[in-house]
Amino acid sequence: MTSSPGGASPAPDSAVTTGISNKGLRVGSIGMIGAVVIGISTIAPAYTLTGALGPTVSAVGFQVPAIILVGFIPMLLVALGYRELNSRMPDAGTSFTWAARAFGPWVGWMAGWGLIAATVIVLSNLAGIAVDFLFLLIAQITGNAEIAELTRVVPINVAVCLLFMLLATVVSYRDLQTTQRLQYGLVGFQILVLLVFAGAAVVEMLNGNAFDASPVELSWFNPFEVPSFSAFAAGLSLSIFIFWGWDVILTMNEETKDPDKTPGRAATVTVFLIVALYLLIAVALLMFAGNGTGELGLGNEDIQENVFFHLSGPILGPLAFLVSLAVLTSSASSLQATFVGPARTLLAMAHYDALPRKFAKVSPRFFTPGYATIVSAIVASAFYAVMRVLSENVLTDTITALGAMICFYYGITAFACVWYFRKQWFDSARNVFLTLLAPLIGGLILAVLFVTTLIDSASPDYGSGSEIGGVGLVFVITVVIIVVGLVLMIAQRIASPGFFRGETLGRDAPASARRRRLTP
Amino acid sequence: MSGDRVVVGYTATDAGADALALGARLGAALGAPVHAVVVLPSAENNVSIPTDAGYERLVQDTARGWLREAVAPYPGIHGHVRSAHAVSDGLVAAAEEFGAGVIVVGTGGGAPRGRHRLGTTAEELVHSAPVPVALAPEGAREVDPSVGLPRVTAAIGTRPGADVLLDTAASLSRRSQAPLRLLSLAGVDLPGRVDASLTRLTGQAHAQSVLDAVRTALPAEIEAEAVVGAGSDIEDAVSRIDWHPGEVALVGSSRLAQPRRLFLGSTAGRILRALPVPMIVVPRTSEASS
Repeated sequence: MTSSPGGASPAPDSAVTTGISNKGLRVGSIGMIGAVVIGISTIAPAYTLTGALGPTVSAVGFQVPAIILVGFIPMLLVALGYRELNSRMPDAGTSFTWAARAFGPWVGWMAGWGLIAATVIVLSNLAGIAVDFLFLLIAQITGNAEIAELTRVVPINVAVCLLFMLLATVVSYRDLQTTQRLQYGLVGFQILVLLVFAGAAVVEMLNGNAFDASPVELSWFNPFEVPSFSAFAAGLSLSIFIFWGWDVILTMNEETKDPDKTPGRAATVTVFLIVALYLLIAVALLMFAGNGTGELGLGNEDIQENVFFHLSGPILGPLAFLVSLAVLTSSASSLQATFVGPARTLLAMAHYDALPRKFAKVSPRFFTPGYATIVSAIVASAFYAVMRVLSENVLTDTITALGAMICFYYGITAFACVWYFRKQWFDSARNVFLTLLAPLIGGLILAVLFVTTLIDSASPDYGSGSEIGGVGLVFVITVVIIVVGLVLMIAQRIASPGFFRGETLGRDAPASARRRRLTP
Repeated sequence: MSGDRVVVGYTATDAGADALALGARLGAALGAPVHAVVVLPSAENNVSIPTDAGYERLVQDTARGWLREAVAPYPGIHGHVRSAHAVSDGLVAAAEEFGAGVIVVGTGGGAPRGRHRLGTTAEELVHSAPVPVALAPEGAREVDPSVGLPRVTAAIGTRPGADVLLDTAASLSRRSQAPLRLLSLAGVDLPGRVDASLTRLTGQAHAQSVLDAVRTALPAEIEAEAVVGAGSDIEDAVSRIDWHPGEVALVGSSRLAQPRRLFLGSTAGRILRALPVPMIVVPRTSEASS
């Protein structure tokens, strides 16, 4: 079918065999609960919400619950296309490989670049959030509130963040796995703490102890109440970020106990859990803190970049350290799952000669993309350090830029699905929906979001209000990332043109199964 | 050795090359088929990372490439890729699959030349494997294959339970036509008040009696000798003895071992620390004797 890195096995090779019917089975090892646990730990709801809730409130105000519900739609539509591509061409390069197959090497390269950029940004954001909560946790345990403020001292913050990145790199490079019991415990703990947090916020509000008591209204769930399309687009691109990672469950086919049912069921269970949690927390915190710009108001720019950091103390009092612990563990376990993304894509790109060969190196002891992992870590650390210095609100700006990058590469992936399956669209009603309508609509939504975010973010007031030469920082980040990608792509074209001539990964479109049946 | 094949735990590292070189030499000396196995981590124990079939295939292909390259200089050695919960589990399963009588692993892992340093896999194997485990020290890959198996040394204790060790040593020596040397460390490492020369004499007598017994199991043309180590401690005694490049040292499992399983005892561990040649750890009891 393809010459994908893992795709078809090489020509029969009498000297080397691969065991299939052996005891060390890979097939059928992950059950539904296991898949849900991996999904939730990858999405990391505690981390995601503390990072994304503030920026989302700043975009759409009280209509956060509506945006969370609507934001799931493009994610679902694209994920359906993603699943079609994955089952047709399972490949470590995912978006890169699929876009190259559908649209040729140039578009494929940029899709891979978008994926790498997005995950590298989220790595730096994850580590940044973890740093905040580490200091907060120490402050809460020692009872010394000044320690929490240390996170604002840039050199300390950057140093601790780099330390986190180093740890995460070692864990990823050596493929250190937590035990199943610990992982289940961490995910359970995370959900439990979020429930307690939301419950406490509501109780405090009902007891009249809220900062800015705002009784829940039906309009919070109505997306048409969002004041402008720009606000809607900004909110939507953020809510795509909060569901990002969910799609991995759909693609876990071969490793699950029942490939036909387990991934679908696990994905459904996960998404219901996640949406319920998100709505609960969003509503509870809005009820407690309101949308004002006061000290604890969700409209206050100073608390928006890390909402739980500022609200857990007022809401939970002495138990606030539980929230810190939940966010810390959630970021830590998500770091490992997130590291895999850019490293595997870099490796696959190098495998097809779209990047220098060094990136294709698999660690002979740990079987991880060793070189690519280290490079990803270095770039993410450098990105964080530069952003920490440049931006007034580094976490807010990275999250917004991240939303844009996700729209960019996910959008390309969705269109790749549509175009790749162009000869099979009308094979069946299922194909009409899964290979044409769903990814096309999802891709169009993401494309509109990307363009809108890009145009709006050029304004210096956008996001946290950080700017460079009168242009918004988010715009600068996004454009710089894409331009750097273009430059590197051209450099690779000059250094090693094989991939760009389609020698390693050709364009392709599977023929209609229908026509084959009609004309045997 | 019980089974008649050799399984090598291969990785594309220096330690893996050490293991493969030793495995090849053992296989050639015994006339036994050799299987080099790369064990990949199984998705089973993965609870934190989204699995990706594409990446797993890429790793399998890469591993096949490593094996193809590694076995190219050794005609007749087969390469296999397997996956398991842990590398040691995978190698034990492979030993069963191929009917192997010995598992060979490298213990280089950053150790100085000629020395052993047990990594996780070797550590697990010498404490649980159901078949003998051969440990290839750093630099084993540089031993000239033409030396074959120049000598087999068995470290004998005075405690009962050494029968399997002696049988294994004698059979290894017989099949490879290599001289056998019995090494007694009985007089070493005793408290100062014990008369050292007396224990040395006892050790010599013991070694001689064991040698006489073993002699009967060996064809006349194979040389056999017994030596008694001397030194301030086990490590010192081992380093004072002469070792041919390429010879192997056999030690028995500790009495702490489960039936038919290996368990590297403390004395064996200390021998390993000073040993400049490969060590083969042998179970105390064999399938046949229990």
